[in-house]
Amino acid sequence: MKFYFFHLMPYRMEHDEPSSWVTLSNRHYDPEVGHTLYNQYLDQFEHAERLGWDGLCVNEHHQNCYGTMPSPNIMAAALARRTSRARLAILGNGLPLRENPLRIAEEIAMLDVVSGGRIISGFVRGIGPEYYSTAVNPTHSRDRFLEAAELIVRSWTEPGPFAFDGHFYRYPYVNPWPRPLQKPHPPIWCPSQGSTETVEWAARRRYPYLMVFTPLKRIAQIYGEYREACERFGYKASRYQLTVNLPIVVAENDDKARRIARENALWVYHVGLRATIPFWQPPGYLTEGSFRRAITNRPKLPTELSFEDLEEGGYIICGSPATVRDRLRVFSDELQAGIVCSGLPAPSHEATLDMMEMFAREVMPHFGEDAEVDETAGVGR
Amino acid sequence: MTERDITVRGTPVRLLSGGSGPPLLYLHGAGGAGRWLAFQERLAERFSVYLPSHPGHGGAPAAEWIEHISDLAFHYLDFMDEQSLPRVHLVGASFGGWIAAEMATMASHRLHSLTLIDPVGIKVEGWIYPFLFAMELPDMVSTVFHNPAAALALAPRDMTSVDGLAEIYRERAALARVSWNPYLYDPLLRRRLGRITAPTLLCWGQHDRVAPHVCAEAWAKEIPGAVLRIFADSGHVPHLEEPEAVAAAIAEFAQAPEARS
Repeated sequence: MKFYFFHLMPYRMEHDEPSSWVTLSNRHYDPEVGHTLYNQYLDQFEHAERLGWDGLCVNEHHQNCYGTMPSPNIMAAALARRTSRARLAILGNGLPLRENPLRIAEEIAMLDVVSGGRIISGFVRGIGPEYYSTAVNPTHSRDRFLEAAELIVRSWTEPGPFAFDGHFYRYPYVNPWPRPLQKPHPPIWCPSQGSTETVEWAARRRYPYLMVFTPLKRIAQIYGEYREACERFGYKASRYQLTVNLPIVVAENDDKARRIARENALWVYHVGLRATIPFWQPPGYLTEGSFRRAITNRPKLPTELSFEDLEEGGYIICGSPATVRDRLRVFSDELQAGIVCSGLPAPSHEATLDMMEMFAREVMPHFGEDAEVDETAGVGR
Repeated sequence: MTERDITVRGTPVRLLSGGSGPPLLYLHGAGGAGRWLAFQERLAERFSVYLPSHPGHGGAPAAEWIEHISDLAFHYLDFMDEQSLPRVHLVGASFGGWIAAEMATMASHRLHSLTLIDPVGIKVEGWIYPFLFAMELPDMVSTVFHNPAAALALAPRDMTSVDGLAEIYRERAALARVSWNPYLYDPLLRRRLGRITAPTLLCWGQHDRVAPHVCAEAWAKEIPGAVLRIFADSGHVPHLEEPEAVAAAIAEFAQAPEARS
């Protein structure tokens, strides 16, 4: 199993507003504090490469204190020049949120060329609140996603110029310079929460499927659906098509790890992911069928989850190195996941660096059996 | 009142109708699908009232082909053709008023009269419509209604079952398809309002917080000869807050010689 280091780049703060998204006033954001945070977070990424992580993950979110990375490509650019070995996984760009998705094709190609072919390009739709903060019509989300994805992949693989005449996006000349370095194009990942339509779409194209902040039971179920879909499309899923993103807290002993994890998880779920029902459910973002499935067994809202729910449900892993290794075996052996993306949330920058070192020293080497495998070969491209 | 399921050029439509007299087509606002209330009862004393549900609203099937407000306007012109209604008194409230105004710019000659009740649909300098899609129910009620008790008439029939919630979701999606951005207006509509030749009555709640008085003034300015009536005890939905008074105003307006031609 491979390890990718993930960071949300949160702006941690307490507040009593009903939502940390869309409407939480940006007067709470202090750019001086932000300067320190961004640079600490980037230091952590660079440290992760030195410690042996296989990849570094950035992602896109807008108008919130949960993750201050409206443009993940900018952070990937900063890392491209300061790292030399690790994969740079952008998880991802919110395709429907862009009025000009060709710009994503251009930016990813630039990053791929600068980084020497280390880019992984995640394609996402963006979450509910982002349709409020970008004003993109959520009823267009799925169709815009599919159309933009087709446009971007064609722009990377077909010699330009060619004309593209879609329903939402129209170009008389598609001819982006530069072209990406990786052939036929950078691997595409599909971070998602498990909608049937997305599982099918990703499996058909061999795009790795990334389960983000999802309980273990549901990960197992969706992995099963994905593998079954791959077989229907005539191939067996590689373990590197099955990835997961969850926070891991490791400390000298279980009690200490649990204390750190509790404090952090409760902030992420009760503050960072606090939003109103309309923000979580923009109209038409889901098909009516998916909406019905989603409410038939309605998962708890983030703010309704207790720490015990999070730990027992497998949303997070925390414990001593031995405990963390045991829990990770569930992913590597039972679920046959190929890649674990994880943040290591600790109370301070220095504590994060220490926790990363402990993880690199006492956990990662135990899963090093496939260290020489190129996890992106033939997967998602 | 009778309820029928019909199709309009292949699109399924749920239609309530009742009363007798000249035909009156009523286009409902958000939440008004399938609601035959005091306002419709009063109108039915003087008119043959037609109340179709917009596709996707109030449990009606969605129509994926509807992408723009003008699609709904053409849909109701088709409805008039298929119901053999060469001319109608056209009444629209809020979102329905927007559709009615679009129809009037296309085919004023099909209208005996036009009544717009607190319509949305045009951009008004100095005003941005509050974003109702982001509001939870209590905020929405206090924004839309001057008299919150009147909101009970629009309370969803079922907010607990999967079917009930899916119907609400379908209606919100149908609204969002045509009104999310630009929010609640068509940038082309305002300059076309001058084409309206049908006698036009504007009914406006004095306490409208969705489209306040500055909007009423803009509509009155753009539609030639429009008459503006203010309803002092109403917010955005005077047909729900003062149904008798609004129905009487419409009946009186429709009696005027130019509206009977």
